[in-house]
Amino acid sequence: MIIVFKLLFSCFVVFALLNVFQRKKEGLLGPKGLFFWVLFWLLAGVAFWWPNSTTILANYLGIGRGADLVIYVSLVIIFYLLFKLHIKLESVGRDIAKVVGKKALEDKK
Amino acid sequence: MFLAIVPAFNEEKNIGSVVRDLFNHGGVDKVVVIDDGSVDNTAGEAEKAGAEVLKHSLNCGQGMALQTGHEYAKMMGADYIVHFDADGQFLSTEIAEAWQYLKNSKANILFGSRFLNKKSQIPFFKRVVLIPLGRLVNRFWGAIPLTDPQAGFRILDKRAIEKIQIDQPRMAHATEILIKTKKYNLQYVEYPVYVIYHRFGQNFSGGLKIIKDLLLGKFVK
Repeated sequence: MIIVFKLLFSCFVVFALLNVFQRKKEGLLGPKGLFFWVLFWLLAGVAFWWPNSTTILANYLGIGRGADLVIYVSLVIIFYLLFKLHIKLESVGRDIAKVVGKKALEDKK
Repeated sequence: MFLAIVPAFNEEKNIGSVVRDLFNHGGVDKVVVIDDGSVDNTAGEAEKAGAEVLKHSLNCGQGMALQTGHEYAKMMGADYIVHFDADGQFLSTEIAEAWQYLKNSKANILFGSRFLNKKSQIPFFKRVVLIPLGRLVNRFWGAIPLTDPQAGFRILDKRAIEKIQIDQPRMAHATEILIKTKKYNLQYVEYPVYVIYHRFGQNFSGGLKIIKDLLLGKFVK
């Protein structure tokens, strides 16, 4: 049964990686983004196939269990992505404000 | 040309008298009101009083409204501009003297200050807590040191208009202007102004939003 899950997750990782490369090709992802997401999905695949690998790394970092390490890393990634999203929203808001200002000036001309 | 830039949001009750006062006592050649997405008749009242009106179709914030005013000033070839609030908290009678003071000093920007005279009835919490905190925040962000860290009354000459591009759309523009004054090595002076408090204005949470906006500004391209 576990092997079925592992195969399914592996398919998901491959699909995710293909999606990452597709986004890079379309210019929606920069080199840093490409590096981050490829590394992320490869590590997720490794952790899923060899769960003990997280424990080895956790012990090396002084954290008790591999599962704890995964949770801590996930939290860091989630906060980072939330921060990036916040920046993106602010950036879009400012761009909209600039367009509104420009339109106000053009309407006056 | 001396142009008054008045950002306004839902100020239909005050804007007419503010514009008329600017023409009658402020010594300005032209008044431009930037209606920042008001849902009342701010634009109509401003026009009736003789102002040019630029209408933001959305509420973008005071900083963006001022930037639209700056762009308009550049289009008109204005030599000087004054930033003036729409709620009637400043006295238009102080503009002419302040303008003369700026010209005599040969500086590029004049900042009004509520603290150079003791006339303004500044609320206690604002005077004792918020304004000193504002000075600290400004110092941290590398702004020029002023007695009044959030002064809304400013007069800018042509060089300052060209140099200062306001990127902070909301209230953090006040600090941004001080940072850019230092960055572009603009000469500045402070001048005592009287402020009438119709409402409290920036409160503590408003101050936190300014800090958040300044922080975000470091990351937004």
